[in-house]
Amino acid sequence: MEVNNSFGPIDIAISGMQAQNKSMGVISSNVANAQSTDNGQGQPYRRLEAIFKADDDDMGGVTLEEIAADMSELPRILRPGHPDADEQGYVTMPNVDLPVEMVNLTMATRAYQANVAVLKRYQRMVETTLELLR
Amino acid sequence: MSKISNIVDFLEAGMKAESLRQQAITNNVANMQTPGYRRIDVNFEQLLVKAMDSRGAAELDKITPQIYQPQQTPVGANGNDVNLEGEVGEMVKNTLRHKAYVRLLNKKYLQMEAAINVR
Repeated sequence: MEVNNSFGPIDIAISGMQAQNKSMGVISSNVANAQSTDNGQGQPYRRLEAIFKADDDDMGGVTLEEIAADMSELPRILRPGHPDADEQGYVTMPNVDLPVEMVNLTMATRAYQANVAVLKRYQRMVETTLELLR
Repeated sequence: MSKISNIVDFLEAGMKAESLRQQAITNNVANMQTPGYRRIDVNFEQLLVKAMDSRGAAELDKITPQIYQPQQTPVGANGNDVNLEGEVGEMVKNTLRHKAYVRLLNKKYLQMEAAINVR
């Protein structure tokens, strides 16, 4: 991404909005799959996390590096009637913790709003400069 | 094939480009959900840099804005690469450019008017 022009802050704020948008997609996937005991390959769903990376030059905004699976332990609950239960009647559940996802959702929303605020403020700043041309 | 170096001509070319870009953005936003749609953009500034000579003059027909499809953008699940945030950003930049052009043009006309009204 080129940011050597006078609209650099706009591109950076937009990259932040795009990143938080992806982060929100990941969170909604986690919430939607909080009870999914089968991910299509016979394994329970593992919660995903969006990993961000600063663009390599010093002021280049943010990019989504990868969407990584959370490899923490999967909780097991006793539910003998469940088709995915093992011989002892335990079902391995996804490692999604709904309160944690809600906190992450709030953080993503606030970060998105912060980027919009930066964009708006910079827009007003440029408009102030353009007032000099009146 | 006459070269232009007049600021009004440059501003005119810039405003044409920026109006075309606004149309491209509108088209992109309208096709945000269209499967397989690839976003379009307008090439003007790069053409202007190439066309300008050392005295800051350029041939008008070489700086006609062109519509092109960027090929490096990441494509989503339905083959569509339009991103609402990206388009909003382009629109903000385009609006600011528009304001700058209009004010410069206005300034130029005021200058002419001042010259005419000299007694």
